[in-house]
Amino acid sequence: MLNTDNLVIAEEILFIATVITYLVSSVLYIWHLVTRNRRAVVMGFVLLALGLVAQTASLLLRWYTSGHAPMSDTYESLSLFAWGVVLAFIITERFYPVKSAGAIVVPSAFLISLVALIFYEDPADLVPALQSYWLWIHVSIAMIAYGLFALAFGAGFFYIVQEYLLKKQYENVKTAFVLLLAGLGAVLGLWFGSWWSEPEMVIDAAGNPDKIYAGIDIIKIIGSLAVGLLLGLILGSLAGRGAARPAFSTRLPSLDVLDEVSYRAIAIGFPMLTIGIATGAIWADIAWGRWWGWDPKETWSAITWFYYGAYLHTRLTLGWRGRHSALIAVTGMAVVLFTYFGVNFLLSGLHAYA
Amino acid sequence: MSGIERAEGKTKDAGQGAPQGAAAFLVTGTLALIFLFADVVLSIYYYRHTSGDDLRWLLALLDIGLTLSVLGLTGKRVSRMLVSMKLALTLLFVILIISVIGTILPNKDQVATSGWVNNPLYDFYNAIGLFDMYYSRWFLFLLFLLATNLTWCIYKRLRVTLKNAIHPRVDVRSSFIANQPFTDSFPGRSLDDFRRAISGRRYRIHQAPSGSVLAEKGRFAALSSIVFHLSFLFLGVGGIIGGMMGWTDQLYIPDGSTVDVPHTMMRVTNHRFSVDFIPVLDERGLVEGYRPVDYSSDLEVTQDGQTLARQTITVNGPMRVNPAGANPVLNFLGSTSINFHQSAYDTTETGQYATILEVNYMPGKLLVYAGFVLMMGGITLALYIPHRRIWARVDESGALLVGGRSNRMKVSFARDFNEVKAGLVQEPRQEAGTDA
Repeated sequence: MLNTDNLVIAEEILFIATVITYLVSSVLYIWHLVTRNRRAVVMGFVLLALGLVAQTASLLLRWYTSGHAPMSDTYESLSLFAWGVVLAFIITERFYPVKSAGAIVVPSAFLISLVALIFYEDPADLVPALQSYWLWIHVSIAMIAYGLFALAFGAGFFYIVQEYLLKKQYENVKTAFVLLLAGLGAVLGLWFGSWWSEPEMVIDAAGNPDKIYAGIDIIKIIGSLAVGLLLGLILGSLAGRGAARPAFSTRLPSLDVLDEVSYRAIAIGFPMLTIGIATGAIWADIAWGRWWGWDPKETWSAITWFYYGAYLHTRLTLGWRGRHSALIAVTGMAVVLFTYFGVNFLLSGLHAYA
Repeated sequence: MSGIERAEGKTKDAGQGAPQGAAAFLVTGTLALIFLFADVVLSIYYYRHTSGDDLRWLLALLDIGLTLSVLGLTGKRVSRMLVSMKLALTLLFVILIISVIGTILPNKDQVATSGWVNNPLYDFYNAIGLFDMYYSRWFLFLLFLLATNLTWCIYKRLRVTLKNAIHPRVDVRSSFIANQPFTDSFPGRSLDDFRRAISGRRYRIHQAPSGSVLAEKGRFAALSSIVFHLSFLFLGVGGIIGGMMGWTDQLYIPDGSTVDVPHTMMRVTNHRFSVDFIPVLDERGLVEGYRPVDYSSDLEVTQDGQTLARQTITVNGPMRVNPAGANPVLNFLGSTSINFHQSAYDTTETGQYATILEVNYMPGKLLVYAGFVLMMGGITLALYIPHRRIWARVDESGALLVGGRSNRMKVSFARDFNEVKAGLVQEPRQEAGTDA
């Protein structure tokens, strides 16, 4: 009964259940933001927690059946990312009054896990370069850092929205939502396009996979980008119209709480990224014989690192607060996304495992 | 704090402008000439023998020496420019932009198969190191300039931090206290009440003759930030040592063969290379091909016929061998070991396997690892160890004025401050209680 095939099926079913749970939870969190219905947010939270349990079980099953930490392909990496986002939110939500931020965090987790489901593949054996315990140390720490930067992004975005609402600048609220969702749509579109155009996967003699965009289908990529952008614009203007009301302000956390959450997330995320890069360097020294080689992933992680280092300097040395800090945290997400996805999809290098 | 720094800078510069500057000018001028000479000679040698020893690291260092000494000749503003945050930020920004460009351009292994070879300016691009830019002379120059700037900044910050820790600012006016982020006044209270209210919280109390009191905690907290920034220099120096003295080579060894390890007296034998394959299935579940899942080489390293080590290495399990007769202290520090990494494999014409190894010597690695430890520890402490200060004095109206600040963890400082406040407010009630 308990053979590996059944476990793999159980793992996939559990993950599908997780995605559906996150979807329903997202709807409930958005419903709560719109109607202030307390029952909705309680149910949303319970479902979210159940989803997290199911996803944990799914990831553990995958770990057990494949014999290695679930961090080696696109599906595993994304599933873990969504897991980290949900876990970070559930913990934050216990300590800070940020229930309404769930309306952006939980749908994000749902979207990430949905994309993960698209990329789902049966567990496979690791390529030789990844067969090391450094895999889970390095990847999980980097994922926690990315998750925290995502949290800082969400809090920063709502800080900007809340500030516009308090100043009664409703046009700016609409613009913020349109920009956010259009940006998100463009990223998802670009990503889908580069996946759809099916770059050729090559495994070199060392067993390191690499992607070659020979005969790259530009139309597929630009088309998906345009569709994503358009959908984002439509959804953004709808959401913006819904949010640009005085009553919406009372449904968001206060400016102080949003500013504090955004900063706290980066103040934990930055040391995490530091450890992530340092463990990566140690592992690179073991596997490739050099601790730093300007591989695109390495270079971009350094760029991300300097970016958030600059954030901390503006805050701690120059005393910046509020909107400026929030803007830096929001823009930082673009850098993080490029380091996490962009490098793997658009540039070639030693990290092209996903 | 910045006021002290600025005043210091001024007096120093004034001193350098004095007549004794003639000697300094002569020394700097001589240095500049030496750097110029060495730079020109080595540059000509390097560009005539591009296949010779890699001198780029040394050349970039000479360039830095030349630039600094020429700047020194032009006068007193150099130290101020070098220490400026503006230079640091400009350099960081420029380096980041160049790094981004570098991730888009093909590197030297990829460029041969890219469209760039057909570009009419390809030879020019290649000559300025566009396809190997992270190791080009000018990129290294920028990195070294940033390191110089960082060294100066660390030195300056260290002086200010130690000065403030040893001679904290105790003597302050009432208006200074009233302007602190956390402040309150308590009519009829005395400095002794303040001392009592703050006792047991492990604050260090200083008293100024003028009658103001400072309670301070974490006066060395700023050191953690300095340690964090110092870690960059560890990485930088480690990287320079590795880049200048280290080397990397590839070895191709068919099964059962022995080859010399370049740059050393060692020889390495590949006793047996082994590899496991698993089938790769296509969408219909049919076998499409095979992919290596694990491979390893059984290696033996000898020197003068004596076996130094025998080990089976894998991609994630390299072998480190110390040459015979190496300095035991350096051995311990890990700076002499020759590292054998499993890189790839091949099949020879006769059908046997050949292992492809990457062999390198990377001195300075210990500095790099120490740098990582300082970096991780430094940043964590720098973000979470606060420097808390509370000043108190009795103002003109006879009320006790209390004000304080903390550079980190403001919420927990607010708790501290409120408890001190509560201690100052509550006491009369307790006294009234005992009277009744």
